[in-house]
Amino acid sequence: MEEGIPMNRQIKVAVLTMEGTNNEVEAYLSFKHSGTSPEIVHLKKLENKSKRLEDYDILFFPGGFSGGDYVRAGAIMAARLRSTLLKDLEKLVEIGKPVMGSCNGFQVLVELGLIPNVGGEYGIEAALAPNISNRFEARTVYLKINKGNCLFLRDFSDGEVVKLPIAHSEGRFVTRDSDILKGIISNGMNVISYSDEMGRLQGYPWNPNGSEQNIAGLCNKEGNVLGIMPHPERVFYYVTESDWTRTEKREGMGSRFFSSAVSFVREKF
Amino acid sequence: MSDPNFSKEIPIVTMSSTQLNEVSREMNLGLSTDEMSRIKSYFEKEGRNPTDVEMQAIAQAWSEHCSYKSSKIHLKKYIFGIGKEKVVAEGDAGLVALDDETAISFKIESHNHPSAIEPYGGAATGVGGILRDILSMGAQPIAVTDVLYFGTKRIEGFPSPRFIETGVISGIRDYGNRVGIPTVSGGIVYSDFFSPNVLVNVGCVGVVRKDRIRSSAISEPGIQLILAGGKTGRDGIHGVNMASAEMKKGKEDITTVQLGSPIIKEPLIHAVLEANERGLIYALKDLGGGGLSSVVGEMLESGGMGGIIHLDSVPLKESSMKPWEIWISESQERMLLAVRRENVDKVLGIMDDWDITAALIGESQNGKRLQIFFRGKKVLDLGTEFMTSPILYERPYSKLDKKVVQFLPKQPSDFSKLLLSMLSDKNIRTREYAVRQYDHTVRGSTVIGPFSGIVGREGPTDASVIRPDWSKKTGVAITHGSNPFYSHADPYRGGMAAVDETVRNLISVGAEPLGFSDCLNAGNPEKPEIMGEFISMLQGLHDSAFSLNIPFVSGNVSFYNETGRKRIPTFPTILGVGKVKDIEKSITPDFKKVGSSIYMVGVPTTDLGGSLYFRHLKRDGGRVPYSDPRVLKRRGWNLLEAIGERAVSALHDVSDGGIAISVSEMTVGSSIGASIDLSPLGLRADFALFSEPQSSWIVEVRKESEEKFLEILGEDAVLIGYTQENSFTVKAGEGRVMDVGIDKILSRWKKGYQ
Repeated sequence: MEEGIPMNRQIKVAVLTMEGTNNEVEAYLSFKHSGTSPEIVHLKKLENKSKRLEDYDILFFPGGFSGGDYVRAGAIMAARLRSTLLKDLEKLVEIGKPVMGSCNGFQVLVELGLIPNVGGEYGIEAALAPNISNRFEARTVYLKINKGNCLFLRDFSDGEVVKLPIAHSEGRFVTRDSDILKGIISNGMNVISYSDEMGRLQGYPWNPNGSEQNIAGLCNKEGNVLGIMPHPERVFYYVTESDWTRTEKREGMGSRFFSSAVSFVREKF
Repeated sequence: MSDPNFSKEIPIVTMSSTQLNEVSREMNLGLSTDEMSRIKSYFEKEGRNPTDVEMQAIAQAWSEHCSYKSSKIHLKKYIFGIGKEKVVAEGDAGLVALDDETAISFKIESHNHPSAIEPYGGAATGVGGILRDILSMGAQPIAVTDVLYFGTKRIEGFPSPRFIETGVISGIRDYGNRVGIPTVSGGIVYSDFFSPNVLVNVGCVGVVRKDRIRSSAISEPGIQLILAGGKTGRDGIHGVNMASAEMKKGKEDITTVQLGSPIIKEPLIHAVLEANERGLIYALKDLGGGGLSSVVGEMLESGGMGGIIHLDSVPLKESSMKPWEIWISESQERMLLAVRRENVDKVLGIMDDWDITAALIGESQNGKRLQIFFRGKKVLDLGTEFMTSPILYERPYSKLDKKVVQFLPKQPSDFSKLLLSMLSDKNIRTREYAVRQYDHTVRGSTVIGPFSGIVGREGPTDASVIRPDWSKKTGVAITHGSNPFYSHADPYRGGMAAVDETVRNLISVGAEPLGFSDCLNAGNPEKPEIMGEFISMLQGLHDSAFSLNIPFVSGNVSFYNETGRKRIPTFPTILGVGKVKDIEKSITPDFKKVGSSIYMVGVPTTDLGGSLYFRHLKRDGGRVPYSDPRVLKRRGWNLLEAIGERAVSALHDVSDGGIAISVSEMTVGSSIGASIDLSPLGLRADFALFSEPQSSWIVEVRKESEEKFLEILGEDAVLIGYTQENSFTVKAGEGRVMDVGIDKILSRWKKGYQ
């Protein structure tokens, strides 16, 4: 389909939930306000086959505390997906459809081995460990964009500094071994990094959790799977940015992640 | 009877009053001699003895916590009925209109006693309980709030204040964050008043389409009752009776505190709202204090119905529970849904889709009697009216005759030093160490959160603003007002000041105040001086709210916050909501630009009772500042007009610490300083700078908006200075009395965080 999706065909988005996920509303609304046709899909519906993953153009894993996160962030949801839906998920990723997870969704993607996937075999190569401050941190952070081939960053410029909210207690990105980290850097997969307002990589509090290499967002080599600790879906409109009363009216920082994915799907599928 | 699970008969009909008291004590009923005698004569007429299930059910319904028996007469007299035409509905929470389509459902209530015993679980279930109250009206919760009052001294035999504080904050964090509703507003007050009687006042705000508002009354027979959510266990038995008595050293029973599970609550909210959206719910109510006993009784009684319940159908955590335990358990995350017969399967289907346990447990019937069966045997058979109408008390009260001793302090020698010490006061400095552990941006609708300003150096805001519908420009503003220091000195003026602060805060973000919810905290109501204070406080609330014509739509009363000789002041925490017509016009306190004019709207006072200034001088006494609701209304609504005209750049109310602290806080988030001249204000410099006049604000106005601003505010606005770079300087006449760098202000205010 060289010519892409015709404008009159709705782009279908699945926002996946189970008990404990809790950012599905803002994710749903962000996609809806981007002109797509999103749906909140409970994992159960995929497990009992009343819904099929292959029917969706974009997959989104929202944040929250899936399964209560009483084991390790994202582990319970990943285990549930692994047991029944892993093959379908891998297939969807391999044909190049956009898959994104924020916060707990990032944790799920890492637990599933979909990112970073430096080795290409969907092994668990990294984890999101407890913040170095050892507490939940809810605040706005500065982020430097290094867009590479990440389809979700099409509408950003390289080197741009943006602001997004974070709200997590387990966001410290750590790799299994140094080779994985090297692979991430050499492939340019570390597409979003915690920085100061000038875009310089700095330690705490700029890097709010102590992530290796200030990694805030990570894309797979192919550019279609993005995991990000901050929450683009919470700043779809500029009026929900924490410092908006000091700025001029404009589009929200988060909206460009969604518009990027939508334009990608229209072109490629 | 050999089966220990079976219900027992309690032979009260033949008992003397001493024996009756003995029964009340042994069964943990918390009923007085009068109340026991009333039960006895009811069963004499019935011609039989009650079962243990019946005795427990009555004790729940008649507890202070459930029945408001000491306060109802006074609440009716002073605060019910104000601004009635603005109230859309009342029930577990109250509702006011946001616009033609949508109503705001909101409530604040205490979770004081459980939090004093088990701070983590107590605070967490406080959040869970208030969420269910909002949900009970059919509304989507959009914000959680909490106002906490912590002690400063360790009292022997009670947990340390540090332990309590850490537990309460973690409980709110872990429950609120997991349930996915932003915690956006609140406060933390530290005082010896609250050792060891910690107070946890929790609020919630939701929105609902007007045609989807539900009540809890069942007024038809054959309505099916579905219990949905968590299973029923032994946790939280006799919670309401515990909350209706004074705390004693080391005597508290931890089984009275409920256990919460936010990851059951989160899908329960979705499932209930989905069923309501599809029009499948006839009535609903949440299970809180008193459990099934209170809820079933109230739902049936309010609609004039009776009903039948099968306790065997209740999903249990442990199978060995006795019928009375099942009936009064306060296990969390449960809702009772009343549904027409034809919708039962659909509702059970929705619950199943969300992995929620749900069971049909009974139905409504004609006749005003409730009957309960367990293993084929009737264990309760009572008139619903008798059960839900306790003796109301008009307890004796004494008139307050505290003499006000006015006191004229010496002018401080070093204003800068005093300001810096006030800024790092635990009651002034940032609460980010707690509040940044709460997720305040989840749902992506937080337009103004607890902090605003330049990223990384944000200052405090006065109220939060939530945009409930992404397609509309309308916002819901949320804030609180309370001042236990004022209330301690003068419960009447303290009550008025709480209303004033609530209104000021709403105005500060550009919101028109719509309604209040009141959480009233006090000691033992059986003591006449406490009832005297309670009534004074209510008079204060009445005089303000009546004059403003703003209703109290919901609330609760928490008595018995008393331990031995220590008790809390009698004071309200008010949750206020307001309407922001256009969220893009809402205002934050951080200064926006160097070279703007700074106005004071309001006039400093010589009444310094309860002020931060006096607290720093370690002075008791002095008159508490007076709030005149007519002045509040004029200044407040004029400010709203000016905001609508975009004539205001930054706005912050004058509160604890007076102008000095207000202006300092406006520099924090902005990195912009201020030059203030006190001479137009007329008073001695320390009064002008540190007094806490009510109904007052500091306003930043850009040069180009000044004419418009003054045209609207008139003589209520006094020009006191301008914004500048780097420092906060204050002149009084010719002399400079203060000069502090804004980075120093920032670091003092952020003490304990970063």
